[in-house]
Amino acid sequence: MIRTAPDEMAGLKQGEGFLSLRGLTRRYGPFVAVDDFNLDVAKGELVAFLGPSGCGKTTSLRMIAGLVPSSSGHIVVNGREITEVPPYRRDMGLVFQSYALFPHMDVARNVAFGLEMRKVAKADAAARVREAIAMVRLTGKEHHRPSELSGGQQQRVALARALVVRPSILLLDEPLSNLDAKLRDEMRNEIRDIQKRLGITAIFVTHDQMEALTICDKVVVMNHGRLEQVGTPLEIYEHPKTAFVAGFVGRINRLAGTASGGIAEAAGVKVAAPGFTGPVEVMVRPHRIVLSAGAAPAGGDLHQLSGTVARATFAGDILEYEVEAGGVLMKTEAATRGGETVHAPGTPVTLSWRPQDTFVYTAS
Amino acid sequence: MSAIALPARSARRIGPTGVVMLLLLPIALVNAVGFLWPVVNLLRMSFKETQATGALIDTVSTATWATVLSDSFTLDLIANSVGVSLFITLLTLVASYPIALYLHRSTGLWRTILLVLVIAPLLTSAVVRTYGWIAILSSQGLIANALLFLGITPPRLMFNLTGVVIGLTEILMPYMILALLSGFGRLDPRFEEAALTLGATPWKTFWRVVVPLTAPGMALGCLLCFVLAISSFVTPKLLSGGRVFLLATEIYDQAIVTLNWPVAATLSMIVLVLFGAALALYTRALRRIA
Repeated sequence: MIRTAPDEMAGLKQGEGFLSLRGLTRRYGPFVAVDDFNLDVAKGELVAFLGPSGCGKTTSLRMIAGLVPSSSGHIVVNGREITEVPPYRRDMGLVFQSYALFPHMDVARNVAFGLEMRKVAKADAAARVREAIAMVRLTGKEHHRPSELSGGQQQRVALARALVVRPSILLLDEPLSNLDAKLRDEMRNEIRDIQKRLGITAIFVTHDQMEALTICDKVVVMNHGRLEQVGTPLEIYEHPKTAFVAGFVGRINRLAGTASGGIAEAAGVKVAAPGFTGPVEVMVRPHRIVLSAGAAPAGGDLHQLSGTVARATFAGDILEYEVEAGGVLMKTEAATRGGETVHAPGTPVTLSWRPQDTFVYTAS
Repeated sequence: MSAIALPARSARRIGPTGVVMLLLLPIALVNAVGFLWPVVNLLRMSFKETQATGALIDTVSTATWATVLSDSFTLDLIANSVGVSLFITLLTLVASYPIALYLHRSTGLWRTILLVLVIAPLLTSAVVRTYGWIAILSSQGLIANALLFLGITPPRLMFNLTGVVIGLTEILMPYMILALLSGFGRLDPRFEEAALTLGATPWKTFWRVVVPLTAPGMALGCLLCFVLAISSFVTPKLLSGGRVFLLATEIYDQAIVTLNWPVAATLSMIVLVLFGAALALYTRALRRIA
């Protein structure tokens, strides 16, 4: 079953991750769902596959689980090539978006299913099932049918069912998107806690950048089947490599401009743009912009843009502005401290931000 | 009705229960005239007697029942009919299940085409389809000729139980497939994927996940096919050549040939009891599954 491809496998032996993807590709006719996906995941890491729907993140997860065959490329887990191994011999724990709990079995039998398939001795299995159910705080619900449980409880049963077999990798496919907002935050932290406690390697597929940033060690941003950037949440947020990553992770203001001689000019603001020529996009996050009333004070090395308030929104914890400046609508936001004046629409204001908060990309 | 409701209002208005009753009235009437009354008639007929000459005696006695239930021929007939019908039901289930499963999983135009193919036989009368089987199974038929061409002596495929089983199974398959499909609603491919990732082989997945989830459909299909098989008359009559004795054909012979209406009525009542038993079994099975 082991595929040997000396060229592709070269270098895999040294410094390889616990899970390694090499050139993983999935084509559906002429459509490329996942294109040349390379990734190394260290043992115990929680990695997010983040991207909009249709970006190939779920297809990638399903290829790792063995539910979708890959068109080309390799999947290696702990030094073992599993690209051609059927799903039932891959030793993965998968949690589905819809939970996929067996409706004809109660909680205990759902959780016991994987152990039964692995022919774990009855007494041992019973103890492990009890332990897994306790881990997700569902003791007492053993004999409930999935239909009698709430969404959050079903989610926890799904987690227990996937983890009780002690899989080598835990795969989570949009596990929180069917839960309401409050429960989602709770479950997010619970998943993180359990994953950390067990030290299990996990892949977390999500379209929600908050989920990816807050609980994952590493974020893989995908778009149109291609990998845009891999990095820690901090790297992804503070140093987005592409305009797509900058726009998808967090909110952003975009200014169209032109670059020449290492300087880009957009809406009258000159920013450093080493290596860029031609049309560019200059971006800055709303909460990194400081809004001040009136004409620009001596800004020092800050980038500055003057405009007029188009809309002010007081949202309690934050104060948001839309400012008409340089022909575009710039958004700003700041945490409220109490006592600030809300500038009425039409008020002339100055927007300032630090050079290091400015991103420049070649315009697409 | 609450005690403080104005009498004038409650007299003029019909409550929700009243509307339901009113809507159910037409079908209740049709059933009373078209089903209940004939059944009562049959029941009364089964308590009459016939003379040795065949003349009907207008009396009320349990003599016919006693004769029928003590006659080893009729007892064998009942056991045989139930056995053959159960066997045909099982065969129909086994033959229809893969088709229904494939149909359930196909999509778009292909699914429509397949559905039409499944339903198409229902648009042809069972008589015509039975004659079709005669053309295939008879000693000068398609199979016999093909086997003879290959130098094999063809086995007897018609005018025996084999013919009846083959013919009825094919005729009942559309009903079974439609019943199975109606019960496949719970079968989400995610359940199978979950089982696979949990280490279940495709075989184990089928038995532990697919079969239990499709059990309601199977129960419904089996009930339907058993009832249709035990009451079918044309196909067994034509394909058995009078050599296979089943309840429905015997009732026909008693009523039309022997003109012993009390016996025919008694046997009919026995079929009705068998229906009731099948229905009771079905409800019990369904309660266990759900």
